Amino acid sequence: MRAYTAQARAIALSALEYRLNVLLGMVAYLVQLVALLAVWRVLLAQSPVEGFTWPQMQAYLLVAFASGALVSINGDFRMAFRILQGTVALDLVKPVDYQRSRFAEALGGLWIEVLIVIVACAGVGFALGGISVPAGPALALFAISMLLLVPLKFLILYLTSLVCFWTQNYMGVQWARIAVVNLLSGALIPLVYLPDWLGTLAKWSPFAGLTSTPALIYIGRVDLGEGALLVAVQLGWVVVLWFGARLLWRSAVRQLTVNGG
Amino acid sequence: MPIVEARDLTKVFRRPEKDPGLAGSVKHLFRRRFTDKVAVDHVDLSIEAGEAVAYVGPNGAGKSTTVKLLSGILVPTSGDVRIDGLHPRRDRTAIAHRIGVLFGQRTQLWWDLPVRESFAVLRDIYGLDDATYRKRLARFDEVLDLGEILPTLGRKLSLGQRMRADLAAAMLHGPRVVYLDEPTIGLDLAVKDRVREFFRTLRDEGTTVMLTSHDLADIEGFCRRLVIIDEGRIIFDGDLGAVKDRYARERILHVETEQPAAIEAVRVALPGAVITEGETPRHLSVRFDRFVLTAGQAVTALAGLATLVDFRVDEPSIEDVIRRVYSGELQLDRS
Repeated sequence: MRAYTAQARAIALSALEYRLNVLLGMVAYLVQLVALLAVWRVLLAQSPVEGFTWPQMQAYLLVAFASGALVSINGDFRMAFRILQGTVALDLVKPVDYQRSRFAEALGGLWIEVLIVIVACAGVGFALGGISVPAGPALALFAISMLLLVPLKFLILYLTSLVCFWTQNYMGVQWARIAVVNLLSGALIPLVYLPDWLGTLAKWSPFAGLTSTPALIYIGRVDLGEGALLVAVQLGWVVVLWFGARLLWRSAVRQLTVNGG
Repeated sequence: MPIVEARDLTKVFRRPEKDPGLAGSVKHLFRRRFTDKVAVDHVDLSIEAGEAVAYVGPNGAGKSTTVKLLSGILVPTSGDVRIDGLHPRRDRTAIAHRIGVLFGQRTQLWWDLPVRESFAVLRDIYGLDDATYRKRLARFDEVLDLGEILPTLGRKLSLGQRMRADLAAAMLHGPRVVYLDEPTIGLDLAVKDRVREFFRTLRDEGTTVMLTSHDLADIEGFCRRLVIIDEGRIIFDGDLGAVKDRYARERILHVETEQPAAIEAVRVALPGAVITEGETPRHLSVRFDRFVLTAGQAVTALAGLATLVDFRVDEPSIEDVIRRVYSGELQLDRS
């Protein structure tokens, strides 16, 4: 355990060094938030669409911003470059588990993201004239869903970084991931607006847990029973992806061909 | 029992075979052809505890690949590795505590952390107690002079500082076996000296060292055993001193005399040596085998024929021998 808390601490301390980077990354998410708010304000000005009212959409987009910004900065690049530059070789001669180490690092980098997200959400919420908070049980379920989002998102980033063992390049992999995640997680538009078949696919995919699930629970679009089911799906995917990633890692390291010293 | 043992170790890399240019790359997408490159070819190697082994070979000979196989980073295509009787993949964690690895071209320091913090993370990763950690750090500081390095961020270190920090990082957990892969690459002479002194303290403490280097001065006076690899095969494995005695026995004595010396007289006085005239008539070079004639005998004989102003003796380094081996000019007998 000590080995992993130490690695989390290393990234928590490093975050102070790259704080400017984190802030700039957040600006990108904030711009997207403001743009989406502007679009939906026009669309929902007259009447609700598919049952979404303007105040609900404000809360939905804020949750989408928060879930998008968490576990996002540098983590996937750091993991990809470890593999591309071959420093992964040095990880293999340490008495620690690679996947758990990377997860510890993701947790270590979380504090600065949480801090910025809270400040940004408070600021935007204030500018919008206040956002309503759900009642106790729904709020608790929302909190659990946000907690599960952390390992879930980590695993999706981690899995895409492992693809670098085969592709030897990260840009394409990253773009593909961003496109798929934005669409299927509900980060760009709520999943109800997708064609039925795609919406259903997205709803049960691991990606829904990245935005849709906590956002729908927060705004009360799903009742507690359905919310609990969606959270259980989140948890299920965390378990499946955790062990799936282990299998992928095992065949990935066999691909390792570090050239030169 | 040897601490490092490799039996019939082979590593084959598959390389895509592409015709040149974009057309070649596109064609490769549809008709995939690969060639096999044998990086390490049936290598047998066994290293006893406490040995210091020099592992040399030209670029691309398979040195780094061997080191990566011996440390469990790469999985061999065939053959077997045992470290202290343990299997690199099955007992990965146990082996990690026993080995230290330094790749001169890579760092294991955290880029955005002061070196001191990087060391503290390693301390926790290896589960060192604080007293041991402090003791080791103090000892490394003596040889590597870590003082000004410790508070510096990883990415702000100069190459020499980084290498010193990385050496300490690789040795912090007190490994019994260390693989040093190009540990002096790009360093200036003063830092090289420090690093070499550090190697000697490691060896004197009983650590098993396998050293890969292009700078053969790293090896002389440090390693007793020499292993040469070329095209993935071990072409020599034996005692470094014996190689020098056998293949580097020639000495050249350069003398400057007050008056031009009579070369014929010198040739008569030193029959076993080859005498050549230097840049001026007052300069002479005497080439001899050190097992036939000693430098002292040569100087004494010359002093009897002319008044000596100055002299110096050149001895070939192991580098000359190995250069001749690489170029195929010299074939060493496997001892």
